[in-house]
This record gives sequence, C-alpha cells and structure tokens, in this order.
Amino acid sequence: MKSSNVMMLASIVAGVFLLMSFVIPQEQKKPSPWTVPADYVKKANPYNKQAADLEQVGKMLWAKHCKSCHGNNGQGDGPKARQLDTDPGNFTTGEFQTQPDGSLYYKSFVGRDEMPNYEKKIPDEEDRWALVLYMRSMGK
Amino acid sequence: MKNLKNTSCMKKIILPLLLLLFGFSAAIAQEAETDKPIDKPVRSPFASDVLIDNQTGVVPVKGTFEWLIQHRFGTMDNGIKDVFGLYTPGANIRMGFNYSLLDNLVVSYGLTMKNMYSDFAVKYALLEQTRENTIPVAVTLYGNMAIDGRNEKVFGVDYNFTNRFSYFGQVIVGRKFNDWLSLQATGSFAHYNSVAADMNHDVFGVGINGRINFSPQSSVLFQCDIPLKIQSISEQLDWDVAKPNFGIGYEVSTSTHAFQIFVTSSNGILPQDNYMYNQFDLTNGFSDLMLGFTITRLWNF
Repeated sequence: MKSSNVMMLASIVAGVFLLMSFVIPQEQKKPSPWTVPADYVKKANPYNKQAADLEQVGKMLWAKHCKSCHGNNGQGDGPKARQLDTDPGNFTTGEFQTQPDGSLYYKSFVGRDEMPNYEKKIPDEEDRWALVLYMRSMGK
Repeated sequence: MKNLKNTSCMKKIILPLLLLLFGFSAAIAQEAETDKPIDKPVRSPFASDVLIDNQTGVVPVKGTFEWLIQHRFGTMDNGIKDVFGLYTPGANIRMGFNYSLLDNLVVSYGLTMKNMYSDFAVKYALLEQTRENTIPVAVTLYGNMAIDGRNEKVFGVDYNFTNRFSYFGQVIVGRKFNDWLSLQATGSFAHYNSVAADMNHDVFGVGINGRINFSPQSSVLFQCDIPLKIQSISEQLDWDVAKPNFGIGYEVSTSTHAFQIFVTSSNGILPQDNYMYNQFDLTNGFSDLMLGFTITRLWNF
C-alpha cells in the first residue's frame, strides 16, 4: 500500500474518532404520568398472606422477565436500561412504594409504550401477584 | 411390500394407543372441573420447549410464535487448529418455526441442512404435572414427518416420492422434582420409508434427559438417547444399530429467548436421524464429539 494511501486511511480514522467525541449522550426522558383505570387501582393483592412463600417465586420471575431493564434490585440499572428512551425508574424509592398494589399490577402487566404487556408471558394471577410482592420487598 | 406391512402394523398399534391416551386425558379434565380448589400445573419445569436434541413437555402459551436456530459444528478432533470444530466443514443447521395453536398444542415446521429434511411436527401436552401431585408427572406426545429433500438419484432406481418420508413418534414422561431438578424419560419410535438394503426401516429407542437449575436464569442440561437393538422387529439377521446420543450443556433463558450451548455425540438434529443413523461414538472422545447451540426467540400474539 502506498504511503499516501496509509496517510489517507489514518486521517479518515482519526477524523471519525474526532467526530465521535462530539456526540453527546441522549438524556432519557422522564415517564409521563400513568393513567391507571380505577378497577385496577382498587385491586388488592389476594396473596398478601402468602408473601413469605411467594417472594422466591417473584424473585425467579423478576430474573427472567424484568431484570434485564430494571436491574437486579429494581434500581433501573439493568444491561438494557440504557437503550430505553424512557427512564425505567427506581423501585426502591418511597415514591414508587407508596403506589397501591393495583397500580403496580397494571403498570407491570398491562404496560404501555416501552413497557411491554406481560399478560401472555405471565398468564397465572398468582405469579403476577408474586412479582408485585417481590417489588414490594425492594423498598424494605 | 414389507413397507406396507410395517405401516399397517404401526396403525394397528398406534391408533388404539392414541385413543386410549386421549380418553384418559378427557377423564382427568372432567375430574379437575369438579374438584376444588384447582391444583395448578407446576411452574416452568423447563425454561424452553427444546433440550439439546430433545423436546421438553413445555408448550408455549396459545398464540406464541417461536423461531429456533439449531446448529451443530464439526467434530472436535482437530483441537485448537479449527477451534474445536467451530471452523471445520461438516456443520449441520436447522431453522425451525413453531406456533402454539392451543395452550397444550404446538405445530412446527423446520428445514435441516443434512439431507435437506423438511419436517412437520405436532407436540401435544397430554397431562401437566400439578403442584399438589394430583397428577404426579407430565405426559407429552411428540410426532413428526420429515421429507428428505435431496436429489432423487439418491433413492435408487425404483424412485417413488414417498421414499423420501420418515416418521418419528415419542412419548415423554417428565417430572419437576424441585426448583432445581427436572427429569424426563422418553420412549421413541422412528420409521424410514426407504433405507439401505442392510438396514431396518424401524427403530425403537429410550432416553433420559433433564435440567439442573442453578440460578433463576441458568441451568445445566443433559441427555442420553439410546436406540434399541430388537431382533424380533428386525428385517436383518445381523445389523448395527445407531450409536447412543449423549449431550451436556448450559442454558440461559430470558422472557423471550433461550440460549443453549452444548457438546453432543450426534449431529442429525432431527430425532429420527439421530436414532437411525448416528455413527458418532462417545467412547472415541473428541473425534466423535461436537459443539452445538440452540437459540430461540418467542413472540406472543
């Protein structure tokens, strides 16, 4: 390869790196307020008394379905979280934990936009509430 | 003539057996309707519907579409020279598409590189193991028909399109023993319409496979499928049955994917090919072992 070609190639590579250094990471947008139907808000967790038994089930389901975006402990730091346009939030905060069980259920399984619907992937009611119980444990 | 005789014999045995199993399933379903509280099926005995070369009793929920890529590399005998077979010729690939028509019934189509098999399969979860042991085991039926897609010259002078057909039927009995161990036992039957003159058209086999779950997403998988040498059903006085198929691997699964990587002693991918033609022998070590992987992607509709 001629030395002029080598110089040209080196310049292009250097130019590309220079341009890349000007790229500013995109900020994730804060989620707009959810509209949770009243039927769901009123829903109580029928498995609250079995919390100790179901928390492990919730943990297993969390690892399979939720962890990749929401992170190990619900802090919104999973490996796919940075690819999302919307901040997945932090489930350990008081703001998150003060929501009624029914709201968590609606947001988790009915979903919207980037939060997919999980009603078919987690068809069993008991399993869904086990996940809500597990999310509750993140605030402790 | 012999083919016709075998086929009619198959029908005589298999049809009443299927009717009996369906009847049994209906009876269990009726009992479940009247008894309360309902004893629900155990949670995910396996993370996906395939286990290396075998099927599991898992059927994805109704309306699920699944795409599978199954790959077997070349043998590992050249060691690091071809990165344990990853870069050697002789790989086999199957691309499969499954669709769950019901919560317990899935149909599939696949195309395999070896012999350009096109296979059409049905899997029916007859019984699901329940949490309170009302039903202690899962029973699943799997059947397929494959069409050999090679040039017709391969089939000799008396070519007939049906010479390309092969069939496979399997009963899978599985049990999830606890959160970390699930095992399955299988009984299988494979039939080829056309085989070499010194071979049998039919072979029965048994197998065992399972999963050891060591984290919420990760498991060790293993399988052992053994074709049986049964003189009473043989057309030959002396013949070599195919070699057993062993496999061990690692699986990681998420909501929509499963990824399995493993070592096996068979590269047929299609079960009838493994039971009828496998000549790789585990006892020969690296020269008869190969790496492989399976990737699945699920979509819910």
